[in-house]
Amino acid sequence: MPSGRKPASFLVSAAIFILLEIAALSLLHASSTLQNIWLNRASHRTMAFLWGGGETIRSHFQLERINQELQQENASLQERLRAYERLGVEEEELARMAEREASGYRYTPATVVKMSRNQMHNYIILNKGSEDGIRPQSGIISDRGVVGIVEAVDRHYSYGLTLMNPQMSIGARVGRTAVIAPLSWDGRSTGGAVVRNIPPHYDIEPGDTVRTSGYSSIFPPGIPIGITRETRLVDGSTRQVDVRLFQDFSTVRYVTVVENLERSEIMALEAKGEGRP
Amino acid sequence: MRGTGLKYILLFLVQAALWNYFNFSQYLTIVFLPAMLLCLPLDRGPVRLMLTAFATGLALDFIVTGQLGMTSLALVPVALLRRQLVAAVFGPELLVRGEELSLRRQGWQKIVPAILLVTALFLLPFIWVDNAGILPFWPCALRFVLSLLVSSAVSCLVAYVMLEETGERWK
Repeated sequence: MPSGRKPASFLVSAAIFILLEIAALSLLHASSTLQNIWLNRASHRTMAFLWGGGETIRSHFQLERINQELQQENASLQERLRAYERLGVEEEELARMAEREASGYRYTPATVVKMSRNQMHNYIILNKGSEDGIRPQSGIISDRGVVGIVEAVDRHYSYGLTLMNPQMSIGARVGRTAVIAPLSWDGRSTGGAVVRNIPPHYDIEPGDTVRTSGYSSIFPPGIPIGITRETRLVDGSTRQVDVRLFQDFSTVRYVTVVENLERSEIMALEAKGEGRP
Repeated sequence: MRGTGLKYILLFLVQAALWNYFNFSQYLTIVFLPAMLLCLPLDRGPVRLMLTAFATGLALDFIVTGQLGMTSLALVPVALLRRQLVAAVFGPELLVRGEELSLRRQGWQKIVPAILLVTALFLLPFIWVDNAGILPFWPCALRFVLSLLVSSAVSCLVAYVMLEETGERWK
């Protein structure tokens, strides 16, 4: 501080500095955990209102590519439909079983209103909320795999954490060995993830497909996430596998929110089991 | 400094749009808020400047980042230390004489180091808090260096805009 300034003025500045820093830290602490407080909800609504138009304009320039992708997806679905039609009675029964399994989930299409991509804790805001039947702890997927999890829901919008978030971990089934292990973002790129804690005796080849395990009660099993790349041994006891995600987070625009309709039942059962001695 | 408040608000909106629409890389955070604070009139005391910094950071977090408090946390130290930085880079006589920063009088050879210092002062806590212990040191260091270089270059343009009028008195 300049020599002419009074010590009292320095003390006042220091005190206000400390107060403001504590206020900022408190706000930061609250905003990273309590999505339900009104300030965060208001923030999400404001962001959705402010930037929703911009995302629409940006997506307009991607319409041609999106149309091509939709055509490809349509063709793939038609092919699968024809394959189902050709199935015999036995296969039809198996298909019905698969259908029953799938009917435990509700799928709601949604459009991305805002999505952060260049922070360490990235989030997504969708244009569907509680009035559209969206509930917290629902999965967000696209035709290319897992996108994130819904954390908080407003009337017309929902807020979720994307997979590009170190706090988020999902159960993954890796390759032909079908070993189950947690998958999380690698923190480095928009298309990279890591599967950790794989026992070393499992043989994981580069190019193996990584899918959701279905053990989390959020995502249905078998949703493709990415393909394996390099594998390395960590601390001599577990294997760690790099994964190239199918979903490039820099281009996601349309998603589907998937809700496990039996989740509350599973959670209640889990709570009951934990309560037993 | 005529029109400083209006320029400050307009540049704040530019910063908000930049953070929302231009997500270049995980390793690049382009910020010129510290340079905006540096270029505010020097007669504003640290208390007033800290409150301005806190409100600016909070408003930006509210409409863009969603992590309320993060930008304020990094911006308030810049406001606290601005007088000391100005005295160190431009000399204490500038404050004693009650002059304002001027591109014409101080020149880029002093403005650029000042911008580098305030930008580094902002980026250090910002990257540290945003990272929250996730990435190891070197990726964070890379992010700091890249962000410092690009942000300082952009901040020079911002300083040119904000200090443009001030230079007129030294013609």
